[in-house]
Amino acid sequence: MYGWIGKVLRVNLTSGKISTEPLNEKLAKDFIGARGLGAKIFSNEVDPNVDPLSAENKLLFVTGPLTGTLATSAGRYNVVTKGPLTGTIAASNSGGYFGPELKYAGYDLIIVEGRAEKPAYLWIYNDKVEIRCAEHLWGKLTGETTDLLLQETDPEAKVACIGPGGENMVLFAGIVNDKHRAAGRTGVGAVMGSKNLKAVVVRGTGGVKVANKEAFREAVLDARAKLMAHPVTSGGLPTYGTNVLINILNQIGSLPTNNFRTAYFEEADKISGETMAETKYLRKKACFACTISCGRVSAVKSGPWAHVGEGPEYEATWSYGSQCGVDDVDAIIKANNLCDQLGIDPITMGSTIACAMELFEEGVIDQETTGLPLNFGNAEALVKLTEDTGYQRGFGAELAAGSYRLANKYGHPELSMTVKKQEIPAYDPRGVQGMGLEYATSNRGGCHVRGYLTSPEVLGIPEKLDPDSTEEKPAWLKTFQDLTAALDSAGICLFTTFAIGGPEIADMLSAATGIDYSAEDFLHCGDRIWNLERLFNLAAGLTAADDNLPPRMLEEPIPTGPNKGKVSKLPEMLPVYYQVRGWSSDGIPTDEKLTELGLA
Amino acid sequence: MSNILLITPERCTGCGSCELACSFKHEDEFKPTASRVSVLRFEAGVSVPLTCLQCDEPYCMAVCKTGAIDKDADSGLVSVDGNKCIGCRMCVMACPFGNINYSVTAKKAVKCNYCDGEPECALWCPQQAIEYLPQDTATLGRKKAYSAKFAQLVEEVQS
Amino acid sequence: MVTVRFFAGIREITGQKETTVAASTLKDLLTNLAAKHGLRFQHEVYGPEGVSDEAIILVNGRHLEHLPEGLETELVPDDTVAIFPLVGGG
Repeated sequence: MYGWIGKVLRVNLTSGKISTEPLNEKLAKDFIGARGLGAKIFSNEVDPNVDPLSAENKLLFVTGPLTGTLATSAGRYNVVTKGPLTGTIAASNSGGYFGPELKYAGYDLIIVEGRAEKPAYLWIYNDKVEIRCAEHLWGKLTGETTDLLLQETDPEAKVACIGPGGENMVLFAGIVNDKHRAAGRTGVGAVMGSKNLKAVVVRGTGGVKVANKEAFREAVLDARAKLMAHPVTSGGLPTYGTNVLINILNQIGSLPTNNFRTAYFEEADKISGETMAETKYLRKKACFACTISCGRVSAVKSGPWAHVGEGPEYEATWSYGSQCGVDDVDAIIKANNLCDQLGIDPITMGSTIACAMELFEEGVIDQETTGLPLNFGNAEALVKLTEDTGYQRGFGAELAAGSYRLANKYGHPELSMTVKKQEIPAYDPRGVQGMGLEYATSNRGGCHVRGYLTSPEVLGIPEKLDPDSTEEKPAWLKTFQDLTAALDSAGICLFTTFAIGGPEIADMLSAATGIDYSAEDFLHCGDRIWNLERLFNLAAGLTAADDNLPPRMLEEPIPTGPNKGKVSKLPEMLPVYYQVRGWSSDGIPTDEKLTELGLA
Repeated sequence: MSNILLITPERCTGCGSCELACSFKHEDEFKPTASRVSVLRFEAGVSVPLTCLQCDEPYCMAVCKTGAIDKDADSGLVSVDGNKCIGCRMCVMACPFGNINYSVTAKKAVKCNYCDGEPECALWCPQQAIEYLPQDTATLGRKKAYSAKFAQLVEEVQS
Repeated sequence: MVTVRFFAGIREITGQKETTVAASTLKDLLTNLAAKHGLRFQHEVYGPEGVSDEAIILVNGRHLEHLPEGLETELVPDDTVAIFPLVGGG
């Protein structure tokens, strides 16, 4: 095979059995790789009703056919499993250098099964694979874990590991690779922790071959030229990082603030990319083969939270910043860094603290419960509660289940800003209508990277859509969801789509694999993957009722800022979306649709 | 010798495009371990790309017992003749910069040859951290940047 | 006076984060700023060739593209105009 390596590594932690098997070429062609191929293999092998934290759940690390090549920003891999936060299929995507290394070691994917009796890690050096003892690493932060593992394996190896968050099965724990890149959402780190698997360490000295060398070179040169000419991927992102969005979302009046009580934050500029570029960023740092280089090495130079780390990205700056009413940028950077170190998702963490803040301000919980005055704006609480959550200490043990379970426990489910039990991110759906539909229909719960309509609705890329209008949104969303599913599966970064689209990616994929994918074929694969994920979720017990938004989005108009008075018009869009998808009015894919996609 | 590869480490983001482009050109696959250029990544996100500097007095050439390594007088390029190389790796040990490699697959010493005048690493570097520039003007940019500080100082003093 | 806020790369052109301008329409306001901030502003935001494709101009949070009157939108004191280059993230 070209592009793909053609080999699967299977590791059973219960029995200790390690085996390899050939990659099924038909599945690879139809589901591409990473997210799609992972979903297919996972749903073939695992009962949708499996308890996510049981030994029967499986954990897949899956690369795409472009991963490890010179294709644009092609360093991605996906972790596929059933997520404990959401109860949905989970595909959590990460960059850095781990994915390519797995391919150089000779594997497209790893299937981890069972549960180790004692803490263990997986050490892969090409075809030499060992399950090793990790008792000496248990309890350690991700940074120290990575350093120690590089010392005892190979200094050039790449490490994907969990921190205390995953070990303690925080329901939104992530898997951290290369110290600062994370498969962050839906709780994939808790699944790894439940298996007693501390890390996967991989070193590969092989390579990745493509089918048509000249065509591939031409296709990548063309795509790269577009990325390097586009103002977003050559200007805004490289200069300010993803935090460049803080000010614009605030100016349009859709920066969720104080647990979505409003959508305009007076102090936004203090936590913006512009301010961080001036005072906190040291240098750019790129993921594998990336021309954009949105990553930032950052420093808090003095004070109680002094440290050097990476980030924060826009979503984390929002979740800890305006969402908690905090404008102390040092505390935000520190709390985000703790998330990297503890291995937990900062989006859910910040937003869960915000939910607790509202419960506190409403008098539902008091200081006896929280251990500290938990008003909006309390910067110290971010740092303290993040740490306590990672270790399941005190009130942190309640936060560790996410805001859905927290708010329910205290009898106020309406104060959890979640879809399918996962926190929705940093675009207020009352002011950006398409994003509301995107959150509601995401296959992995509240998420912005399943069909990023912010691009046309806020930024005007590739076309300017009115954020208030609902009319064309279902059709646009379907295209974006399908394209994203396909490119996640190919192994390249979503950010490339500011400058390139289906045709460019299909050209790279065709030249790499030797299989002729037209832009339409590529989108069709995305449609197939989207429906497969949907089928898994339906079989796991989810229904159309789960395609919803928090009641605040539908009932409480934004009280201040440019979008004052607006609510989400989700009920107008959802039935149209089901139609556009070829689903019944109950959100179930029709037989006709499944036959068309080869999923019947 | 008309052009040199100029490396500006402070521009490097560590993406490794150079390693991929190099191995793709010379080995027909994406294989960083077989690349002639290497990116060394340090803590806190500083990265340095390194490749053969085409020394005027190459140690690798000096220690080669079979005369497989030669420096071309016109181009200045130091190259390995695969027919003469016996794979003893003395050159690998002699290079003070670690910029000549032993290829396990070819069982020969391999090193950068500037892709015969069109170096892929410089073409694919998205940050211009590796540039292929005329020897006499390669460092002009740095001179200008540095002297600008003096110029500013002079202006301030004189105004 | 209308408040004008500059962001990201536009701040580098104008050398300021915020200013106030007396103008009765958006077009007046942009013409005024273009005269003041020179060629780079005219190229990247608004100049003789109109509004740049690489600028995002908001009036009270609404994108210029979605304002019914476009550049002829009337401005009143207390209105806020925000000017961004084309940016993205996620």
